[in-house]
Amino acid sequence: MRSRYSITLRIKRYDPDRKRSWSQDYKLEAGRILRFTDLFRKINNELDPTLAWNSSCEHAQCGTCAVKVNGKPLLACELLVENAVAFFGTTLFRVEPITIAPVVRDLIVDLEKAYERIEKIKPYVIDPVENPHPGNAYQVSPRDLEHYVEATRCINCFCCATACISSHRGFMGPNAVLASVVRIMDPRESAKAERLDMLYSDQGIYRCHTSMACSFVCPKEIDVAHFIALAKAGRFGAKGRK
Amino acid sequence: MIHLHVEGEAVNSKLRIHETIKCDVLIIGCGGAGLRCAVEIFEKMPGTRVIAVTKVPHPQKSHTSTAQGGLAAVDPDDPVDSPAYHMFDTWKGSDCMADQNIVKKIVESAWTQVIWLENHGMHFSRDEAGNLSKRTFGGHTLNFGQSSAFRAVFEADRTGKGIVDTLWGEALKGGISFINQSIATELLFEGKRCVGAVIFREKYGDFVKVLARATVLATGGSGQMFRVTTNCRQNTADGLALALRAGLPIMDPEAVQFHPTGIVGPGILASETLRSVGGILRNRDLEPFMERYAPRMKELAPRDLVARAIEKEIREGRGVLNPDHNVEHVWIDLRHLPDYVHDVQIPEVTGFFRRFVNIDPRKELCPVRPSNHYHMGGIPTNEFGEVQRGAKETVPGLIAVGECAAASFHGFNRLGTNSLLELITMGKIAGERIIEYLSQDPDTLPEVSPERTFSLFARFMDEKGEENTGRLRQEMQAVMTEKAGVFRTEHGLSDAVDSLRELYERAGHTSLSSKSLRMNQELVQRWEFDNLLAISMACALAALNRRESRGAHFREDFPERNDEFNHHTLVYMSEFGKVDFGKRPVDMSIYAAGGENYEKFGLIERKY
Ligand SMILES: Cc1cc2nc3c(=O)[nH]c(=O)nc-3n(C[C@H](O)[C@H](O)[C@H](O)COP(=O)(O)OP(=O)(O)OC[C@H]3O[C@@H](n4cnc5c(N)ncnc54)[C@H](O)[C@@H]3O)c2cc1C
Ligand code: SF4
Ligand code: SF4
Repeated sequence: MRSRYSITLRIKRYDPDRKRSWSQDYKLEAGRILRFTDLFRKINNELDPTLAWNSSCEHAQCGTCAVKVNGKPLLACELLVENAVAFFGTTLFRVEPITIAPVVRDLIVDLEKAYERIEKIKPYVIDPVENPHPGNAYQVSPRDLEHYVEATRCINCFCCATACISSHRGFMGPNAVLASVVRIMDPRESAKAERLDMLYSDQGIYRCHTSMACSFVCPKEIDVAHFIALAKAGRFGAKGRK
Repeated sequence: MIHLHVEGEAVNSKLRIHETIKCDVLIIGCGGAGLRCAVEIFEKMPGTRVIAVTKVPHPQKSHTSTAQGGLAAVDPDDPVDSPAYHMFDTWKGSDCMADQNIVKKIVESAWTQVIWLENHGMHFSRDEAGNLSKRTFGGHTLNFGQSSAFRAVFEADRTGKGIVDTLWGEALKGGISFINQSIATELLFEGKRCVGAVIFREKYGDFVKVLARATVLATGGSGQMFRVTTNCRQNTADGLALALRAGLPIMDPEAVQFHPTGIVGPGILASETLRSVGGILRNRDLEPFMERYAPRMKELAPRDLVARAIEKEIREGRGVLNPDHNVEHVWIDLRHLPDYVHDVQIPEVTGFFRRFVNIDPRKELCPVRPSNHYHMGGIPTNEFGEVQRGAKETVPGLIAVGECAAASFHGFNRLGTNSLLELITMGKIAGERIIEYLSQDPDTLPEVSPERTFSLFARFMDEKGEENTGRLRQEMQAVMTEKAGVFRTEHGLSDAVDSLRELYERAGHTSLSSKSLRMNQELVQRWEFDNLLAISMACALAALNRRESRGAHFREDFPERNDEFNHHTLVYMSEFGKVDFGKRPVDMSIYAAGGENYEKFGLIERKY
């Protein structure tokens, strides 16, 4: 096992003031278990304070640090140097912003824009079913919950939407579908018809061509394509009201 | 217009208010606390104009989303648990520094707030009957300490995420306007009344003035004061610094909690379960050292004792240096545990070691060390979340909730699962209070101008020298960890104060590599560093002043609790390092009421 690596990060940069993009190489000596977010910090502290990058919790729980490394969308906070070397078989890493929204600067994209897709499908209970025991919790059987609990784990990192070719062409994107499916399967939601209308709209699931790239890249290991397949198979009842 | 000495016309002309926005309520911070407050306002007063600001790119990325464990609430249908037990546990845990009026209020409203969340769509884990599952958590007991209580409801290992997702959705439904990836740089006042704040929008590189009839601070924690922390990158004590700069006090800044076993590097929590299932702590020589510190309890000793034991091993040279992250640690040995334990009882933590340090806990030793976790101290408020100017007087129009506030529910030591509970209860209470305030307050907003923001930013733009903010920040974190962390002494704390002064001086010699205002993280980091220095200073000075040990505050030279210090610390800072202290008495109304079991709420010992 090697203890240190000499690596190069070839980072795609963008300066909004000059509207200029370029790629810049940063050569680093890095310990084996440093994560890519640690490397970005190291670049700021030792080489170049102007490199802009996003993160928040750095525990793989918030999905803020998604970037593309050698083409693969992933969370920078959980990519360790030695794993990256082993996985990609190189010490040269091309780091680019995810491609789901306009770039603000360097690795930072306009997540607000990306989130518009999620907001559009109404990520809440639109119309709750009547609670048989007001003042108490609804009863939800753990068996029912099990069917959709995976979909509730999504952290909206947009890795799947970046990998999905269709989501660059008018499709609402895999994570928006997930957010919608959660409430379709949630027994507490009554507005199923409205939700199905959205799901089967012209930005809906028929734009997906089942490449399963979403399931492949999801850092939370959610089988996104499975839920899309359920929707396509009509498992959620009638197809809209049109 | 203020005249600025900034390099170049372009920058100079950008340091101005780009736009003025008016609203009813401005909420600074979109974690669980800020969002719960917003939603309460929408439910009770639909159509209220609420603007919420967050530093992260989107509210969902707020740090509450990282909380895993659960949220404490006594189910009224539980045949064995009772709110009195929860109140007692909180009081005892706080080392007699929680305010009993707050404890009573929060504990008694807990279950209703859990139901509210469930009814609004949070995906709580369920038991076989379809009701909310409950689990035990350290420090939560039945019968005043007799046995563990099943009191924490949870959403698998992502309770905080469940809360934020639910509240964000409801806030959207209510018609909230978010200003994301933006920082509040200054509170605005008309006389003594708070009327909004200046917001720096990083994406556009401009400043907007938000005038509001009520302003809420919900900016979360301050973990970046320390070197290894479980807190997110944005937790830089901004809200506390905003208050200090406005001449308001902060309370108990010295009350900082450390978790004994953060994973080296990212500081991710390796939960206490590791110790309860039989994990053994070992030093460099692989000696199971807890036998020396707690011969009977060993690894099962309380959090603070374990944290001190580990820290002591490290300080006496029996730690191990991780070369990659350059931090010292000890080992937790899980190799002897049966597969069943690894697979069923601790799969998540095992996963963390795999994912973040590439270690297989079945075969290898795992590196852990005490990590900063929670700030009990904060902006002092009364039981409605109204910010206080002194021990009694409040600031009209200003509310604080969540981790940045100190009501105080946690006193000098917070129990696990009590923070999420505080967010959802105090968030709601603050929302109710704001509605009352709005209905009394005339709907007029004065024209006020910022006083500090532009001179501060002009200063950052102007500074020249060889220093680098990122590296200075690392130095500050090292000082705080070593001198004002798990162990504190008169000598160490005085050193820390000197070092902080020197760092403040040196920070004046950083020069920005880019003078652009647009998404200039170096600039924002420079601003955050000022905040961190101010709160670190307040923490070190207050710790110096408190010559006793209490809860998470441990003075090696004064190891016992001393009733002379049975009061909250108020710290005012007129300029960096120049502080005035005040006191706020601890509310003991449960004790004073003399009801059943009142004696449990006296000045009891914190012994487990
Ligand atoms: C790893 C971890 C696990 C935890 N687990 C638990 C648990 O199981 N149970 C429990 O009860 N507690 C737990 N806690 C504690 C609890 O999660 C936090 O105390 C709580 O989430 C804080 O919530 P908040 O709403 O006050 O702040 P946060 O959620 O931190 O939100 C702060 C908000 O303010 C914004 N903000 C900050 N500064 C500014 C500024 N200058 N301008 C504009 N916006 C700003 C941020 O962007 C963010 O939106 C845990 C903490 C950690 C770190
Ligand atoms: S399966 Fe569908 S949603 Fe998933 S990546 Fe392919 S096209 Fe996109
Ligand atoms: S489904 Fe997975 S990849 Fe897609 S946004 Fe959610 S967590 Fe990220």
